[in-house]
Amino acid sequence: MNNARAKVPLILLTFLVVELTVLDHLRVFGAGPDVMLLLAVVAGIVGGPRVGALFGFAAGIVLDLFLETPMGLSALVFCIVGYAVGNIQGGVLRAAWWIPVVTTFVASVAGVLLYALTATVVGQPGLVTPHLFVVAAVVGVFNAVVSPFALRLVRWAIADIERAERAYA
Amino acid sequence: MAVYRRGTRHRFLLVLLVLSSITVITVDVRGGGGGAMESVRRAARDAFAPVQSAADEVINPVGDFFGGLFRYGHIKAENARLRRQLADARGKANGASSAERERDELLALQKLTFAGDVPTVAARVVATSPSNFQLTVEIDKGLPTGIEKGMPVVTGAGLVGRVIAVSQERATVLLITDPAFNVGIRLSGSGDVGVARGNGVRQPLPVDLVDVGTKVTGGEVVVTSGLQGSVFPAGIPVGKVRSAKVQPGRLQQEVSIDPLVDLSRLDFIKVLLWQPKADTP
Repeated sequence: MNNARAKVPLILLTFLVVELTVLDHLRVFGAGPDVMLLLAVVAGIVGGPRVGALFGFAAGIVLDLFLETPMGLSALVFCIVGYAVGNIQGGVLRAAWWIPVVTTFVASVAGVLLYALTATVVGQPGLVTPHLFVVAAVVGVFNAVVSPFALRLVRWAIADIERAERAYA
Repeated sequence: MAVYRRGTRHRFLLVLLVLSSITVITVDVRGGGGGAMESVRRAARDAFAPVQSAADEVINPVGDFFGGLFRYGHIKAENARLRRQLADARGKANGASSAERERDELLALQKLTFAGDVPTVAARVVATSPSNFQLTVEIDKGLPTGIEKGMPVVTGAGLVGRVIAVSQERATVLLITDPAFNVGIRLSGSGDVGVARGNGVRQPLPVDLVDVGTKVTGGEVVVTSGLQGSVFPAGIPVGKVRSAKVQPGRLQQEVSIDPLVDLSRLDFIKVLLWQPKADTP
């Protein structure tokens, strides 16, 4: 448990730095990848609904610090996505390699759409446009491609938590 | 039974997190961009600024190297094209001086004060938005240089956007193509006014409130109107008319403009240290 307390913030910070610096230069059809959403999805896959929701919330709130959209919006969407992915995928222990990849694609697309809808409800104009589907597709494909790598990282970070949870259950 | 209880516990956590998020959203929206959330944001951005600079030092040369490798042919062609354009421009520059005088006279005639006499702060664009739903750029100047929220941002070509957040080290600029962006404009040909609004990345800006009777020509330059209460000074070039149509039965024309500035390749920009007059409503 102690180990995870250092590893989880480290993972969070690493993903944030990647999101804000490296991926800043990577744009396809005017859309860029979203690794903070990826973190929520992957945490859900690896650790189940609880870990997914917590990672999603943390990743979202950290990202919100660097956005102009209302604070807490990404946190809301990402924690729901992490929870949902955990509920669907969490039970599958030894799945074929491509199942998490497909899950990441679907969950990322759903996450982008959910974000746009939630933001529209909160009063951000002009998000639900045809371009939204381009964004969702770009984010989905990119996240799916890098998901095996992210899975390994998150598995490493929460290995101790997992063990504790399994012992508890 | 144990499984059931575990499920409830998870759901309780989700509800807790969702409610916290909604609380934070409410506090931020109600606060209207000020207050506690704003200072937390500023602190986070200032703390991250050195990390970002350091990362850019590493990434930019690597990115340029790969960019150069993959786009060698493209860069060669671009080089040739730029040479040609330079030759053309040299020729045109001679003719331009008279046109410039003409323009000055026209501006004076229309009582437009171009933003030439406003003090400016030059800054470099250090990052684009991390979100796909917000068209902004980060610049490397902040509060100490006198930048404040709401100030117009331009390049030599024209209007880029408006400052929407400032911290000690950084400022965030909302680009004119963001759906939350509105600007009062004046058609340079007829002098009629309208309102242009952002419509998303690489999309032309639709212009509202242009009268059906107004003659709008393609390629006509559109400038900020600077009418009373406007958030921009008058006469900053915004874009060129892309299309203008009169649909039967409509009370306004369908006009759209292309931005003059290439917003995907911003590097150096200028912030006009200009605020709307205090007496405006």
